[in-house]
This record gives sequence, structure tokens and C-alpha cells, in this order.
Amino acid sequence: MTTTTVKLAKALTIVTLAGLLAACAGPATGGPTQAANPSVKLILGAYTTPREAYGKLIPMFVTQWKAQAGQAVTFEESYLGSGAQSRAILEGFEADVTALSLDADIERIANAGLITHDWHSLPHNGMVSTSIVVFGVRQGNPKNIHDWADLARPGLEVLTPNPKSSGGAMWNILALYGAALRGKVEGVPGGDEAAAIEFLKAVLKNVTVMDKGARESITNYEKGVGDVILTYENEILVGRQKGLDYELIIPRSTILIENPVAVVDTYVDKHGTREVAEAFVNFLFTPEAQEVFAQYGLRSIDPDVATATASQYPPVEDLFTIGEQFGGWQEATPKYFGDSGIYTQAIAAVQAP
Amino acid sequence: MNTIASSWPHPKAGASSPWGRRGVRTVALTYLTVMLIIPLAVIFQDGLRAGLGGLWQSILSPIAWHALKLTLWTAAVMAIINTVMGMLTAYVLVRYSFPGKALLNGLVDLPLAIPTLVTGVMLVVLYGPQTALGSWLAREFGWRIIFAPPGIILALLFITFPFVVRAVQPVLQSLDREQEEAAATLGAGPWTIFRRVTLPALWLPLTTGTLLSFARAIGEFGAIVIVAGNIPLRSQTAAVYVLGEVESENRLGASAMSVVMLMLAFGLILVVDWLQRGRQTSRDE
Repeated sequence: MTTTTVKLAKALTIVTLAGLLAACAGPATGGPTQAANPSVKLILGAYTTPREAYGKLIPMFVTQWKAQAGQAVTFEESYLGSGAQSRAILEGFEADVTALSLDADIERIANAGLITHDWHSLPHNGMVSTSIVVFGVRQGNPKNIHDWADLARPGLEVLTPNPKSSGGAMWNILALYGAALRGKVEGVPGGDEAAAIEFLKAVLKNVTVMDKGARESITNYEKGVGDVILTYENEILVGRQKGLDYELIIPRSTILIENPVAVVDTYVDKHGTREVAEAFVNFLFTPEAQEVFAQYGLRSIDPDVATATASQYPPVEDLFTIGEQFGGWQEATPKYFGDSGIYTQAIAAVQAP
Repeated sequence: MNTIASSWPHPKAGASSPWGRRGVRTVALTYLTVMLIIPLAVIFQDGLRAGLGGLWQSILSPIAWHALKLTLWTAAVMAIINTVMGMLTAYVLVRYSFPGKALLNGLVDLPLAIPTLVTGVMLVVLYGPQTALGSWLAREFGWRIIFAPPGIILALLFITFPFVVRAVQPVLQSLDREQEEAAATLGAGPWTIFRRVTLPALWLPLTTGTLLSFARAIGEFGAIVIVAGNIPLRSQTAAVYVLGEVESENRLGASAMSVVMLMLAFGLILVVDWLQRGRQTSRDE
């Protein structure tokens, strides 16, 4: 009895470790190939945020495609964190269309040779929706938080996910740092890298929980953890739509989050779905599709829809993009989040005993 | 392996034919290879891609090193508490009878069946800073349980609860009570009897249970990612560090840490095996 129990315990230990290690290997899913007509299946590999929006957009497209091409299209949808989805596609999840949180995650697929066309040639550079980095605060704003400088106040509890595992967290850090560099943070002189780093450290000192993704982070905030959360505007808006009682604070200066979409060439050619995949992507840029994104908390890239929904989405005093402030993700990722990147060094300096 | 074989009755029917025996052995070894050895080998190969030097460099980076230290000391604290309390629990379950004992005995194994993620969520609901208990502890004693090392230790204690209890229980059951009674007749107090008579018989299962719970704790992820807070250099454990490295495409960093964790667990399991073999031979003589 002893020995069998002990053996069982040993086996469990090994299995647990092996399970953890399996994370290194990543998922591998295969999609079956398609018959040409009269029906077709499209696989969408997306990040989690726009799930509700796609829930509404897909039936709209199905009806439209039936009328237009006479073909019945069914969808298979997968929603994961942006980085995880990008890697899944890379390792053989045969998504025909991918919608991710940031440029760099599509770029990774393109670099592996699975996307061969210039995906930036779509309208708006291939960016199908946008959002901004904002603060969520408790109802009535009890800690009186209005702008970036308030986040550095000693004793405040700030939530933001870990940039190592979350695209959202990278947007948050760059929004904060960019605002500081642009001289839009009280007490931090513009253009002064050293001062911006000090400010970044002061805020990082207040971070009490670093979840693995934006979703987990807001779930923790909803459970009552923390005074303020740094997150996407749409997360707060969707939460409020669901009746949650936190409030949205838009800082004076923040970054424009741009979410790309692309057809994955290798897989559409393999499945024979190029035509319908391209039609779906183009549909996402139409005003009617853009209105749906706007209903679910995302800022529309269509100027007319943006004007129509302006009351819902107040303008930001100083809005900057990853391209103009940081030279794009290609440059920003190593500079800020690499092994000796600015963020990596700042967090090490703040937490070192 | 020989411990299991010797304690089980030999199957007569299937084993009589050499072909049957060989077939069973082939199936078992193939299964073991495919399910365990190949995946583990891949991790080792991955972790050693940049050589031992690369592996160490990656482990000795401040964030990785701190994560490893945090994992080991929280697991050690857990193991100490688990040893004492697991022994006590086993003692009560074996030596005392009270209503509901069978039910309690059954509950001991439940932590193995609950997804550890659920364990994490449960602890946050119980001790989180916004809950009645959590805020009371913070107010009265200044204790922070969740998003701090105590939360990690609590999660590990819950998850490894059965290990010591289940290792000690059967030995305690089979223990000859005459020696204890003889000691009592000779005037020894209960504490002396426990220390001088009962405990020496239990040290092997205790050590085994403790080491296995420690090994199990090293790799824990699901509960920790919920309760720890996960801040690098403060509350990020090795398993959560591995996740970050995987997600940020630092495969080497992830595999290097995994190799170290595996080696630690494997080393402990070898020690357990060695201890058991020692007992087996001393008993055979």
C-alpha cells in the first residue's frame, strides 16, 4: 500500500512537470481540407477582446455571402491571447483569417512565410479596429485619479498584466512611457529619458499583481483587487455594458492601440478559401461592420462611423501611435521589453531587494 | 519496480507463457517511452541547446534566479509544515475513532482531483484583500496572504495535503502497538513514547512524503498564477517565469528553467527511491 501510493505520488509529480513543459511545445491543430462548392468553411483565429463583436459580425457576413456568391459559409472560431494565437497559427493551427491585438503578432506569422502578400495594403494599413489605453477606477473615483502622475502616488495599488505574456501590458507600458516623454505627465519634463524612466519605476512600484493577460487582470480588478487598472478602453466599456460599476478615466495623453487583421496565404491556398476569406476581411472594413465594432467598445477606423459614435468615444487631448512615438513594434519590442530593455531594467531596479 | 512486484501476488495465468510476458513488457516500455521519456528528452535537448554555460547564464539572470529561490523556499516552508501536520493528521486518523472519520479520510485525497486553478480561485475568495477574512488579517496583523508568499505556501499546502498523510498512515496502521504499551508500562509518558518508539518507525515514510510533496510543489503552476501576484523579483515563481518566457518567445529561458526544475524533482525522487530500497534490503536480511 505504501509503495503503490508513493509510486502514484511520484507519477503525479512527473506528470505535472511534464504538463508544464508541454507549454513549451505549444498547440498543434489541423483543419480538414475543403470541398469547393456549394459550401465552405472558414477558420478564424483571433485574440479574445473582439469575441462578442465577431459573434455579431459573422452571421451578418454569412447572410451577405449567401446572397452575393450563393455559397453557404460556416465559421470555426478560436479565441486566444494575441501572442498565443499568433504562435498557434505559426505551429500549424490552420486559420484562414487572423485578427490579432498587435502588428508584431501578425508580423511573426508573415516572417515565418505563412503570409506572403503585403498585409498592410488593406485599408488603414490593415488595422481593422482601434482602442486606447485608459484607467479603470472604482465607482466615484475614491482615490481621486485623473492622470498619469496620480499613478505614482505612494501607497496606490495598480494592476497591469505582465508584458512578458501580454500584448495589452506592452501597450500599457508604452502609453505611460510615451506620455512621460511627450511632457504630458505632471512633474516629468518632456523629452527627458531619465525622468521618464524614474516615473515608470514609481508606477511599477505600485503594481501589486501582474496577471498573465489583460482578461485575467480585469477579472481580478472586478473581484475587488487594486485601486486602478491600466487596460484597453473597450474592456472597461464592455464591463460597464454588463453592469459592472467601475469608471473610465481617459488620461490627457495616451497611445492609440491598433488591431490588425490578415488573410493567411498558406492556409487559404491549402483550403481553397482565398476568395471567401478576402471577402470576409474586406467586409470587416465596411461601415456596417465598423458600427458593430463601435457597439462593442472599439473605436472605429471608419471616419464616418467614428463621427457618428463620437459621443461614446471622447477625443484624447494628445493621442500618439506606436509608429510615430516608438518607430513601430520592430523597434520598440527589443528596446523596451528585451533582456536589457528599458522596462526590464526598470522592473528589476524597483523590485531588487 | 521490484517493490511493487514483490508486494503483489504473481499472476499465474498470463505470465506462464514467455511470449505473453515479453508482450506485456514491450507494451509497458513502449508506453513509458512515448509518454514520458521522449517528451522529457525534448525538454532536455531544448534546454541544453546553448550548452551548459548558456543554461546557467539564463538561470542566473536576476529575475530567473529570484523566481527559483522563491519557489524553493516556499516549497521548503510548505514541506516542513506538511511533515508535522501530515503526521499529526495521519496519527489522528489511525489512532482515534470519531464520527465522520471515514468521510474525513476520504477527503484527504481530494486535492489531487481538484484542478489547481480552482484551488487558487478558492484561496483568493477566502483570503483575498477584499474579503472579510483577508481584510481583517491585513487590518489587525498587517498580514498580506494573497499576492504574497503566504498565499503561495497556502496553495502548496492544500495541493500536497495527501502526500505525507498517505505515506505515514499505512505504516502507522501496521505498527506493532505492543512496544508502545510496554514503554507505557515501564513508566514512559505519551510524548516520550511517541518520540522514542513511534517516531523512529515513521521517519522513512515521513521523509518520503515530505520529499515528494516538495518535488510536486516545485512544478505547481495553476494555483500559483492566481494567488502569487507574479511580480518579477517579488512574487513570481519558477513555473510562472517559464510561462512568461514561453509567451515572449524566449524558448531557451523557458527550457533552461524547466530543466533545472526537472533535475531537482528527479533528484528528490531518486533519493526517495534510494531510501526505500535501503529499507527493503534491511528488512530482507
